[in-house]
Amino acid sequence: MYDATPEKMPKARLGRRAFLKLAAVGAGVGATASLVASNKVRAATSEEVKDPYPGSKKVKTICSICSAGCGMVAEVHNGVWVRQDVAQDHPISEGSHCCKGADQIDLVKSKMRLKYPLKKENGEWKRISWQQAIDEISQKMLKLREESGPDMAMFLGSAKFNLQQSFYFRKFAAMWGTNNIDHVARI
Amino acid sequence: MAGVANTWGYGAMTNHFGDVVGNSKAIFVIGANSAAANPIGMKHFLQAKDRNNAKLIVIDPVFTRTAAKADHYLRIRTGTDVAFIYGLLHIIFKNGWEDKEFINDRVYGMDEIRKEAEHWTPEETENVTGIPAAQIIQVATLMAKTKPATVVWALGITQHSTGTSNTRILPILQLVLGNMGKKGGGCNIIRGHDNVQGSTDMCNLADSLPGYYGLAEGSWKYFAKAWGVDYEWLQKRFFAPEWMNKKGFSLSKWWQGVLQEEKTYSSSPVRALWVQGNGITSLAQQAKIKEALDKLDLLVIAEPFLNEAAVITERKDNVYILPVATQFETEGSVTATNRSAQWRSKVVDPLYESKTDHDVMFEFAKKFGFYEEYTRAMKMEVKDGVLTETKKDFNWPDDASRELARTLKTIGLGGWTPERLRAHQENWHMFDPITLEGYGPMKGQYYGLPWPSWDENHPGSPILYDAETAVNEGGMGFRNRFGLEHEGVSQLAADAVTVKGSKIKGGYPEITKDNIEKILGITLTAKEKELIGANWKVDISGIIQEKCRAAGVAPYGNARARTIVWEFPDPVPKHREPIHSPRPDLVEKYPTYADQTDNFRVDVKFISEQTAQEWAKDFPTMLVTMRVVNLSGAGMLERTSKYLSHLTPEMFANIHPDLALKYGLRDGDMMWLHAPQGTKIKVKAVHDFSVTPDRIALPYNFAGVMQGVDLSANYPDGTKPYTIGESSNTIINYGYDIITQIPEFNAGLCRIEKA
Repeated sequence: MYDATPEKMPKARLGRRAFLKLAAVGAGVGATASLVASNKVRAATSEEVKDPYPGSKKVKTICSICSAGCGMVAEVHNGVWVRQDVAQDHPISEGSHCCKGADQIDLVKSKMRLKYPLKKENGEWKRISWQQAIDEISQKMLKLREESGPDMAMFLGSAKFNLQQSFYFRKFAAMWGTNNIDHVARI
Repeated sequence: MAGVANTWGYGAMTNHFGDVVGNSKAIFVIGANSAAANPIGMKHFLQAKDRNNAKLIVIDPVFTRTAAKADHYLRIRTGTDVAFIYGLLHIIFKNGWEDKEFINDRVYGMDEIRKEAEHWTPEETENVTGIPAAQIIQVATLMAKTKPATVVWALGITQHSTGTSNTRILPILQLVLGNMGKKGGGCNIIRGHDNVQGSTDMCNLADSLPGYYGLAEGSWKYFAKAWGVDYEWLQKRFFAPEWMNKKGFSLSKWWQGVLQEEKTYSSSPVRALWVQGNGITSLAQQAKIKEALDKLDLLVIAEPFLNEAAVITERKDNVYILPVATQFETEGSVTATNRSAQWRSKVVDPLYESKTDHDVMFEFAKKFGFYEEYTRAMKMEVKDGVLTETKKDFNWPDDASRELARTLKTIGLGGWTPERLRAHQENWHMFDPITLEGYGPMKGQYYGLPWPSWDENHPGSPILYDAETAVNEGGMGFRNRFGLEHEGVSQLAADAVTVKGSKIKGGYPEITKDNIEKILGITLTAKEKELIGANWKVDISGIIQEKCRAAGVAPYGNARARTIVWEFPDPVPKHREPIHSPRPDLVEKYPTYADQTDNFRVDVKFISEQTAQEWAKDFPTMLVTMRVVNLSGAGMLERTSKYLSHLTPEMFANIHPDLALKYGLRDGDMMWLHAPQGTKIKVKAVHDFSVTPDRIALPYNFAGVMQGVDLSANYPDGTKPYTIGESSNTIINYGYDIITQIPEFNAGLCRIEKA
């Protein structure tokens, strides 16, 4: 039941490419079959099968899960990340991915992403604007600093920051005026 | 990593995965489950087995999926790693299998280790570790006769009250065997998150400025200069000057800064918590953390996914959540576990209303009134040996990259220019996966310029401490970090150890303004003398590096690794029982440390907790954490993935059927697990033979249920992940490493009760 090997990963959902192929041979079931019956789809051209996202660009990037540092190729079409491919020529991963790495595209586009600033007020979550969030937080931080001094704050940074952000987070705490800063390297 | 850095200079993986494939004849994995946590690392171990018939030895309290591929599996009792390694050393020394030449030329203090190892006969080692003596002898023999062999570890080694001793005894094993600075050897320490090596190097840490410069006055003065700000201004930002030099609260016990149940030492209680990309639910003592979150004046959370800190707290006000972009919505570099830097290009713009992490910092720096000082260094460059402001605006991330590269000399980031890193990304196919050597336009460079990459022409150092390779080609001796001598013995490498291509024969000290002329046999001009910094670490002018390169010399010296760390409570690593040990008889024989005063601004209990009662009587079962392949960290990323979350649809514990049935637990029944600190969690019992009847194993990546209470109602709309569950961290026992304060996640006790 808890066999969590990569082989047991559920198959990726039906992609557009597979969908087009299925539609072409009329072998689909359910929604696909009914669409075929109502002539709402046509066979994909061989060009479309070969290149379903004309004009897309391929971006070389690095997986953001673990420190092995696997390469990834992200395909972006009209500003949308549409497909993820392994990086066959990457010197560390040589085209491999684990299930977490293979799922990076879905994680980024997860429905549960935080979408806008939130504030808890009288026990209720409330959507607020960035401006309101920045104004209120900074005002409260400065008031507490005034009352208790800069060591009243504890800053917890991330092992998912890139180097530049990480360097700047340490500098942020230093210029705030505290050494109360840490991150998960300690665990 | 403190243990490793205190042995030979740097706390980082010394070799790399490709090197294991190409050269290792034995792979000794202890406290790491790569098959689950780091499957692509694991792939390399399997390739080494296939291609070179490398022997895979796995030491773990649980028969992990990594163990399933091992030639030798040794089931160790949690928290007895030091005893086990001494057991190996006992046999190695007894048979004269140590590398005498290596020890004589490059190591300090081995006699003390030899003395301690005498005690650890195979019988006593078996008694303490639970590993049969015959297996200990078999593996000691294998390690001694199989060269080169690499040692691999991860958090199974560090997460102990003796974590720092663990991270010293493993390097000592490799020094004894002469496996350091060799292809196929080394300590391949596997880091966790994608940039945990990088964020450690940047020192998002309570005890250091970036680059491990520490918090001493000289270091702050250097950074004030490097940041282009006035030192007095920076000092005035602090409560009082002395607080600049004191370590802050740590991630492990910051909550005591709020609750103050144990004695704290700070200029103020912690009143505001600012969390930016940090899974609070992956920390020990969740019940206490909840109390602290409830008591804070202000909680600010900036994340791409909901941080469950927002869910476990009952507070009604003053919680803010800011949406932050993922790393695919920004650009920058990231350090892989092997010290290689990789450029990560932006895939798409920040989604929804999210902002990048640095934009969040910039926005608040403006409000806090230090934006100008904060960003000034990005407009500066070193011109004629002096740091000068040369432009009106900056370009992120390029100028930040240049700033950190020119500033962090300690770990040799001088070569990490954005141009070079982008070229490496462009030319992935031009590097050899086994050696990391470049071809064609990348010839003469190693992939990702593994640090130290001393300057803009340096190729990077794929294997640390390799004295048979020239410094200018990635070689070096051990770092001279612990003074020139100790008790009258020189800490420099013997005359026999001349780093290839070096102008200096044998060992030499780290290079300073005062010794550079004598050591390198050169004469500085008056102008150079005026510009040069006090030593190689703070020499903004770059003159020391330039002169060292010409002489084929590593600016940090050529010294000895040390087995005695005279600053530590245990100068020589010693076995000490976990704070909550299942063996009261051994607690008497191998007690833990005396209680500790003021480490990271808070007292820590050791012996008083260990001996408060006979814990094993009421809590007879060992508690072990484990990894699953589909989740990482606090699990808040992967549990929002439809596919990954469904591989482990709920929280569970692996339990041996013999133990389970003792409590009337059938496969799939629910059970309560009680911890010594009075907390409990309710989880599903899964019958499994990977554990023995004396221990249970739990994943640590769940949150959203606490002590039996479902917290679903606390999630903001649309943020609750597909799966929630009890956090094992609610019952992780009290216990912290005496140096780093890392919690004792991997040794503790619990009591089982049918739910």
